[in-house]
This record gives sequence, C-alpha cells and structure tokens, in this order.
Amino acid sequence: MNFIDRLTTINRKIIYLVLAIVIVIPLIFPSPQKVRVMAPVEKLFNAVDTIHEDKALIINFEYDPQSQPEVEPMGLAVLRHAFKRRIKVLVMSLYVQPLGLAKSALDQVVGEINAESKSNPDSIIYGRDFVFLGWQPGFYIPILGMGESITNVYKTDYYGNKTDTLTLMKQTKNYNNVELLVSLAVSDIPIYWVAYAQNRFGLQVGAGVTAVSAGDFYPYYQSGQFTGLMVGMKGGAEYEELLATRLNIHKRRKAGETLSSITFAHLTIILLIVIGNVGFFIKRRKR
Amino acid sequence: MLLNFLLLTVGIAPPTGVRAYDAPDDGGGVIIMEWQLSSDDAILDGYEIYRSGNAQDFEKVGYVGKGTNSIEDETEDGKKYYYKVTALKDTLRAYSEISLPAMSSAQWINRTKLNVLLAMLILGSIILYFVFGARKGKQLFIRKIAGLQAIDDAVGRATEMGKPILYTTGLESISVISTIASLNILGEVAKKVASYNAKLINPHFDPIVYTVAREIVKEAYNTVGRPDAFDEGSVYFITDTQFAYAAAVDGIMVREKPATNFLIGYFYAESLIIAETGASTGAIQISGTDAIPQLPFLVTACDYTLIGEELYAASAYISREPLLLGAIKGEDIGKLIIGSLLIIGSILGLITKFPVLNFFK
Amino acid sequence: MKRTLPLILLMIFGGFGILPFFIPHPKIQNIDSFLRNDLLLILYAFALVLGLGSLLHVHVNKIKHRGQNWQYSWILIVTFIVCSIIGLFGGVSGTGPLPTRIGNFPFDIQTIYLRVEVPLGSTMFALLAFFMASAAYRAFRARSTEATLLLTAAFFVMIGILPLGDKISHHLPSFAQWIMDLPLVAGQRGIIFGIALGALATELKIILGIERSWLGGVE
Repeated sequence: MNFIDRLTTINRKIIYLVLAIVIVIPLIFPSPQKVRVMAPVEKLFNAVDTIHEDKALIINFEYDPQSQPEVEPMGLAVLRHAFKRRIKVLVMSLYVQPLGLAKSALDQVVGEINAESKSNPDSIIYGRDFVFLGWQPGFYIPILGMGESITNVYKTDYYGNKTDTLTLMKQTKNYNNVELLVSLAVSDIPIYWVAYAQNRFGLQVGAGVTAVSAGDFYPYYQSGQFTGLMVGMKGGAEYEELLATRLNIHKRRKAGETLSSITFAHLTIILLIVIGNVGFFIKRRKR
Repeated sequence: MLLNFLLLTVGIAPPTGVRAYDAPDDGGGVIIMEWQLSSDDAILDGYEIYRSGNAQDFEKVGYVGKGTNSIEDETEDGKKYYYKVTALKDTLRAYSEISLPAMSSAQWINRTKLNVLLAMLILGSIILYFVFGARKGKQLFIRKIAGLQAIDDAVGRATEMGKPILYTTGLESISVISTIASLNILGEVAKKVASYNAKLINPHFDPIVYTVAREIVKEAYNTVGRPDAFDEGSVYFITDTQFAYAAAVDGIMVREKPATNFLIGYFYAESLIIAETGASTGAIQISGTDAIPQLPFLVTACDYTLIGEELYAASAYISREPLLLGAIKGEDIGKLIIGSLLIIGSILGLITKFPVLNFFK
Repeated sequence: MKRTLPLILLMIFGGFGILPFFIPHPKIQNIDSFLRNDLLLILYAFALVLGLGSLLHVHVNKIKHRGQNWQYSWILIVTFIVCSIIGLFGGVSGTGPLPTRIGNFPFDIQTIYLRVEVPLGSTMFALLAFFMASAAYRAFRARSTEATLLLTAAFFVMIGILPLGDKISHHLPSFAQWIMDLPLVAGQRGIIFGIALGALATELKIILGIERSWLGGVE
C-alpha cells in the first residue's frame, strides 16, 4: 500500500488513540488558556457583580450527573463570585435529582473559602451568608410562591432548619429582596423563570446552559429577557477568566482546563479531514 | 428617614382603574384583574389582590411585585366575584375602589388559534384536492429519491451475502410522525425480506411501536404468501433507555454483522454512535429522520439519507399509489404558497408596518 | 371488519387529537386528558409487558438452542430478575420491605441507577467524540462545490469558537457566530417548513384512511 492509500485509509483505532491522547493529556497537565470573554457572559458577570448589599442572589441548580462536567464549572464560578463579593446567596432546585450536585458544589466552594479565612466575618456562615433551600414539589408553585414569600414555600431548608429562624431569610422575604436569579440547566427551565418569575414579579434572570441546547436560549438573550448567558464549557471558561482578571480569584479553572482538550480535539479533527482530502485529491488527479 | 416621614404623613397613592373580566379563549376558571399602577409605584413593595363574593367580605388571593398591573385569579365558573387592589409599602396600605362583578366561564373556541385553523383548512384542502384528483388517473411525477431507490438493491445485497438486515425505527413513540413513516417503510422492507427469504433483525425502543411493528412484519410475510417463514424472535423490544438501546444496537451490528442497516425514525444524540458503528462493519446504510440536529451525523455516516419530508413520502414512492402521490403534490403546492407568503411578508415588513401581519402572530 | 374497525377507531381518536388544540372547553380538555394521561399509560403498561415478554423470549430461546453468545443471555435474564425484585420490593431509596443494604454497601434501585446506569450512559455519550472524528475523517471530502463550501464553513466555526480563533484573528469568533446565527438557522427553517407540511399531509392521509400500510397494506 503506497503512502497516498495510507492517507485515505488510516485505521480508525489509530484515530481513536490519537484523539484520546490529545484529549486526555491536557486534562492530566492542565494549562488554562486565556479566553476572550464575549458579551453574553460579561453581561451576566456584571449583573452578579453589581448586586446591591441588601439584595440576594438565587442560584437554581438543574443539571444531572451526565451534564455535570459541562455545567458544574459555571455553578462553582458564580458561587465563588458571589461569596467573594459577600453577596447573600439562596440555592434551590425544582427537581430532586440536582440537589446532591448543588450540595456538592456548595460544600466545595464554602470549604475553599473557609479554609483560607482567618476570622468569623471572613468566613462563609450558613444561615447568615447563604441558605440551601432544597426542593419543593409542584414546579410552578415554588417559582410563583417565592414572589410572595420564600419562607412560605420553603418552610424548612435542605437540612431541616426552619427557614424563618435563619438570619438571611429574615432579610430576604421574596423576589423584591432578590436582584438576580441564575438558572444552571440542561432543559428549558430558564425559560420558565422568565415566563413566571420575570413577567409576574420583574425578577432578572440569567442562565448557564449546555452547548447543545444553546440555540433555544439565544433569542431570550437577544430580546433582553436573559440578563446574560453562559453556554457550554467555553461559557464557564469565560466566567472563570473574568473571576481571575477582575476579582483575582485563582482557583482551579475546571472549564478553562478543558479548552485545551477541546482545542486540540478540534485541530486533530481538522487535520484528519485535511489529510483525507489531500489523499482524495491526489488519487483523483492520478485517475 | 425623610421619605418615611413623608409617607407616614401623606400616605401612598392607591391603584386606580380596577377592572376584572373573564379570561378569554380559555377553559374557564380564570378571571383577569387589571389596574392602573399607583403613582407611588416606584417606592412600593408590591400589590395585594383581594376578592369577595358579595363586595363586602374580602379575602387576599394574590400578590404581585411593583410595576405589575395585572394578575390571573383562579375562580369557580358561574360565580360573581368583586376585586380590589391594595398598594403596600411596609405597613402602609392604600386600597383601590371595588371593581364591577366578573364571572368566569369556559369558551368553546380559542379565537387566538383561528389563524392556525384557517391555515390548516387551506393547506389540508389543497392536499385533499390533489389526493382525490389523482383518482382520475392523472400520472403524477415524483423525483428520484436515492435512498428509496436503493432499498431493493440493499435487501438483495444482504440476501446474496447471506447476512441479515437490521432495521431500527428510532427512539420515539408511535405518536411521532417519523415513527409511523418508518413503520410504513418497514412493511415494504419486510415484504422484500420475506420474498427473498432473507433474515430481518428489528430491535425496538418503545414497547407500543414493538407491538405494531410485529404485526406489520407478520402481515408482510402473510401478504407474500410466506407466513411460515416469519420468525417471532426477529422483532423484539430491548429497552426504553437511550444509550442502553444504542449499546444494544451496536452490539447487534458488531456480532451479527448485517449487510444492510436501516436507521429510519427519530433519533437523538445516539444517532452517530449507531451509524458509525454500522459503517465500521461495512454495511450499506440507509437512514431517514426529521430530527434536524441529527441530520448532519446521519448524512455523514450513512450511504443514503432521507431528509425530513422525503421520509414521509417513502410510502407513496415505494407503492406509487395515485392517492398517496397526490398528497405529495399537494404538499409541494403548500410549500409554494408558504414560500410566496414569506417573500411577500418580508418585502411588506421591510417597506412598512402592515397591520394585517399581526394576523400571523 | 379486521381492517374497518381500526380505521374507524383511528378516525375517532385522530379527530380527538386535533380538537383540544382549538376547543379550550373543559368537556373536551378532560376527554383529551383522559386519553393522553390515563388511556395511553394503560396501553403503554400492557405494551411494556408484551415487550419485556418478547425480550425474555428471545434470550430464553437463545439459551435453549445454544445460539451465539448464549452465555450473555443468562446475564441479561439474571440481572433482569434481580433488578425487578429490588425495584419492586426494595423501594426507591431502600425504603421498601426488602432490605437493600449490607453494612455500608447499599444496592437499592436508586443506587443501582446512579452507580451503574448513569456512568454507563455517560460512557456511551462520551464515545460520540471519537465517532465524530472517525466519521469526519471518512466522509468529509470536498467532492463538489457545495461540499467544499460546507467544509470551509465547518473550519471557520470549529476554529472560531476556540480561544485559538481569537488569537488568529479578532474577527474570526464573530464570523463563526454569524454563520451559526444566519445561514445555519435559515437552512434549518427551510427543512422545518417542509417537515411541518409533510407531517400535516401524512396525518391527514392516516386519519382519513388513505394511508394504510401500517395495517399491512391496502385490501
């Protein structure tokens, strides 16, 4: 078999091996790349950054284990941002499955900050700085009910504490005391927040979604109904970039680390296509 | 401080213009309440909505934030309700006047969907006109669809090689049109398989589709006079979990090495996993789907792909029944009308704001 | 009668499928709700029993006749029975009468789902990346002008969405976004119109009994 034939008939096992190497090696030796921040992510970052002292941020966790690698970095980034700026945070889910993932993200970020803090005011204290509301049945009931009273909907939090005894909940009655909600979802849940919470109560809504579903959400961003949008790994990486450059937060950039893998994977696929076409054209000429 | 003092002294302005009416074009049980915002809206906490059956004993039924001037209230049909709205700021309240009574009721027609009904009737009439017009024996031309032309050759190839034919109807239920279209093609493929005495493997994702497919294949064998050749084990249900199904189909492809794969129906992310595995076994692959995000993958990995409505036309194409061909002609005329309306609407939209365009909203 | 009765039923239920879209009255909506939420679920439950029966039948036959890889059929049947017992009697999170924990090792159906099914599903999903590469290498050839245009657009988008794209040219990410916002959406919309009309025509043909291949052909 001559060289030209080899170009057009590379064994697929070799292709898989090469792809596996170019994806795995950047993950083993991560080197976050500087990424250009696009307008949708910057808008969301600014919206979180300018939350007033007396207002809270709600983060709605709605992803499952299969999409956790793509969406969790966004959640971690927004939590780090909020806690760095000492913004009060409420965390909740509309379904049961994401609760475990939400707790895991909270535990990680709170653990990071408290490990570095030197005093109580510096620490992130449950009940004072953040509350994990958990889940309530009925999908629309929490979305609409929180417009009137959050503690009426979530009488107890995820850990079983009565919410009306928590310091943060005494200051955060309903959406009037919430400046922004960020929904991290793999389905169209952010659209329901716009339809019910924003239309009825004027709540600002931002979203972090998977790359596959982004097409459904761009119209809402373009119309201004989403105050910012993070899409896929790149969206998460852009938010991490802003955390590093504007707030000096240099934690592990999970999304940023994958960009190298994605870059090399794309380049590998392009190279394979070029090789295949070179062989194809040479063969065609010979004929 | 000054603001609070002023508020305590002067109070807040109440909302005005309160109006309650039955929600139109719905199934009843809803009254819409509207009001004009208080002139102090900017400093308010929100508005409370009160309701009464006799204009005297009011109970709170809702709350909205400032800047909002309407709410939908769930009510009992046929009962009169009176409403009033309260502007609130901390402990201060300012009540509106009481509205005129309103009563909710169910409507029989949703007028907001009349434009859809009209479009459906027009397009449906055009299609039926050509369907029944075809009865008069007029020869209708249908362009060549490569994927459907190849079915005969693909089944013949499998027979010559002594290898089975794999047919999958996708990952959706029987209520989806592409699944029904796929079952139509399955019937034709099963007839050819029965005639050529080849082997068919037909794994399913949905149990209802499985039961329908089993009857279709069995009937196909009966039609060509080979009821004894039908193998009960050739049509079976696997699982209704996406990637478990993909893994199962991949396993069948690698073990049984079918000569021909039919991937016809609605697919999700697993489409490329299935198609590429089939390509790696050297099978000829004919796919068809109306799942737009999966089209690029199937076009890349398969030899022939039926795109969107080509899939729906398959039954007419294979059988050449005049009634079915007439329907395709009707579709084409419908597309011509829609295309023309798009161009006209775009030009009008660019030139002027034409009120009639609101009809299409 | 064998063919007439299904056609009559089809016309009645097909008509009932369309009416609720235009008639909001509870009398029609309640019938629709019963058909979709109750009747369909009952049908699905019975069909599931049939489906599972067929699955077991295929594998039991394979074991009986010592078909190819018959040993794996045993694995399927055993895991089917074990998971069914755990799911039916063990409760969702181990709250049922059957104990589903040995010390610190739980094996309730929720744990099986999260620790077995979800990772396996994620693994299959991850294979997509590899299959994309091999499919792209095998099939993306600039055989014609259209194919060349497609390849060029693909290159711009693949590079444009990466940080590398911004390094090559500041305009590349915006151009990639333009390709996704305009030509891509325009093409998709054209296909959607065709699919919508095709679906309407197919539904009409089936409901009116013109299309009968699902019955096994025309009489």
